[in-house]
Amino acid sequence: MTGLTVAARQSLDRPIWIILPLALILIVLAVFLGVADLSPAMVLDVLTGHGSENARLIITDIRIPRIATGILAGIHFAVAGLLLQTITRNPLADPSIMGISQGATLAVTIFLFFAVYWFDSDPHKVYQLPVAWLPAVGLFGGLAAGAVIFLLARRHDLGPLRITLCGIAVGAVLHALAMGLIAGWGSARIEIVLQWLSGSLYARSWEHVLFLLPFTVAGLLVLPFLRRSIDLLRFEAPVALSFGFPYRAQFTVVLMIACGLAASAVGVTGPIIFIGLIVPHLARFIAGSRFNLVLPLTLLLGAVIVTAGDLIGRLAGGAEEIPIGVVSAIGGAPILLALLRRIR
Amino acid sequence: MNASRSASITIAALVGALLIGFAGLLFGAKSMHFDQALTALFWPGQGIDSIIVWTLRLPRSIAAFAGGAGLAVSGYLLQSITRNPLAAPDLTGVTAGAVVVIVFSFVFLPALSSVFYPFIGLAGGLAAAAVTFWVARGGQASPLHLGLGGITISLFLGAITTYILLLGGPQSPAVLFWLSGGLQGRSWSALVFILPWAMAGILGALFCRRALELLSLGDDAAQAMGLKLSLWKPLFLVLAVCPVAGVTPVAGPIAFIGLAVPHIVRLLRPQGAAWTILLNVAIGGFIFVTADVIARSIAAPRELPVSMVLALIGGPFFIHLVQRRNFMLGARA
Repeated sequence: MTGLTVAARQSLDRPIWIILPLALILIVLAVFLGVADLSPAMVLDVLTGHGSENARLIITDIRIPRIATGILAGIHFAVAGLLLQTITRNPLADPSIMGISQGATLAVTIFLFFAVYWFDSDPHKVYQLPVAWLPAVGLFGGLAAGAVIFLLARRHDLGPLRITLCGIAVGAVLHALAMGLIAGWGSARIEIVLQWLSGSLYARSWEHVLFLLPFTVAGLLVLPFLRRSIDLLRFEAPVALSFGFPYRAQFTVVLMIACGLAASAVGVTGPIIFIGLIVPHLARFIAGSRFNLVLPLTLLLGAVIVTAGDLIGRLAGGAEEIPIGVVSAIGGAPILLALLRRIR
Repeated sequence: MNASRSASITIAALVGALLIGFAGLLFGAKSMHFDQALTALFWPGQGIDSIIVWTLRLPRSIAAFAGGAGLAVSGYLLQSITRNPLAAPDLTGVTAGAVVVIVFSFVFLPALSSVFYPFIGLAGGLAAAAVTFWVARGGQASPLHLGLGGITISLFLGAITTYILLLGGPQSPAVLFWLSGGLQGRSWSALVFILPWAMAGILGALFCRRALELLSLGDDAAQAMGLKLSLWKPLFLVLAVCPVAGVTPVAGPIAFIGLAVPHIVRLLRPQGAAWTILLNVAIGGFIFVTADVIARSIAAPRELPVSMVLALIGGPFFIHLVQRRNFMLGARA
């Protein structure tokens, strides 16, 4: 697939130092702006350790954990996308195309379905759904889907193209099952599933940050050691093997990391589509010929884009905010289609 | 395969659909004995059995047959235009395009009569297909390319649909029920909805079978034989979207039939486009009738969404298909 080089062909080195201050400004903006009317002075008061009880609650318990969750999830999706694109040698691999998001969706749906069915037959107890379990359940589902794809790929010794097709197939099946379950539900409580399904950072708290953080740290600690294998995985298996490179073992490791990052993020936020697709391309585009910058840029841009998208969704929708998954879908689809069109 | 074998397989599938359809009369919220169903079917009276058979189960099975046949032909047409094994209504965004505009009309334009839904769905499906084909250069690019373009469009439209449902509030359960894809509680009106659109696709394809045969030789060869591709391909695209536009407003998005049935038919190696279309009709109808009967009898008196049944049957088959060596129809991978 020659498309891998679409972005890289632009060998103009674009200034990177601009992105860092932009990212900082964006995060500050995200802290200061919101639906709750807090003047900048009040926010500053809170940040310096003063401020009213109410303002402190809004800033430290609602806005900052939400932003932190968004940053971590953005990093997860973007890096997972980069890894999947590398190992499948397909410029359009992404957790939501490879079936990982759909696996998480199905697991969450089944879990909520049984939780409602068994424990909570009283229709008034809407809020007693075990929502706190969703990240763990989503993680499990995403990992299971990844394992199915991996086993299928391994059993038939599939090339990258067939792995992608397998991912699409598994994703389609899981999606159909989840949709059937949601629709067969016949209860007003579907709103919780819908909210989760649209990919939202609404009401994400420090618990979610703590849930994500170990995965982020583990992933980021392992990645520097895998730089060589990520470089070599770009080649066909025989070529990589001729370098004395344990192709299958490395392939497995990288796939597992990608699945872990993607599944944990999907569990917390729900599927935020297209982040994993677009960010690596953007990073390659900006990095130009400086290949060693692609990974750090992917991290940075993943965080920036999710934060920005969430800020837009919060401000544009007013009290009924637009979920980040919808913002990213609307913003991402045109970029992606243009990208696809350029690939021959 | 010669024509007589094609004919016998077609007839076998039709008889199978009839038998399953008749067996379907026996099952459901109220189960029936064989002779009861027979009496109700051929000598309808004023009894409850006759009403169940004639207003609920029979029209439903016929509608399922028409819908399945139409969707299978739709998938066959899409795969013929693109020579791409992944071209199917659900994987090219056609279904998602039809769904999103219908959900939009349902939630935001409640005054609009549902009579217009097939037309709206047709417009949405065509628009989504147009974008997918624009991205995939009319299917000239690699199969993966079309698949990825279609998935991208489907994911995008799916996100929009979810958001509309979130905004829809109290109306959402009704829409979701429809989204699960099923024929629950449908009577003759469902058939009236589906039949013209499915027939448009099927008869249109049969009518143009010569062009389809030329297309199967490949674009260059077809053009050399005097086939005007710029005329025929858009026409086939419209014909392919018609059944989807007819089925989706009634039964919701039905996945896998349009994808899997043309592949099953190809495995049977029918002779010529006409037999291919007829086999698609017979097998597509048979599978949907079977799935519908399973969906309403396995957990009676409750119903499973038929889309789940189809996913459970069609999914493993699809995954198996992807792994076959000769899956690519000779297109470059």
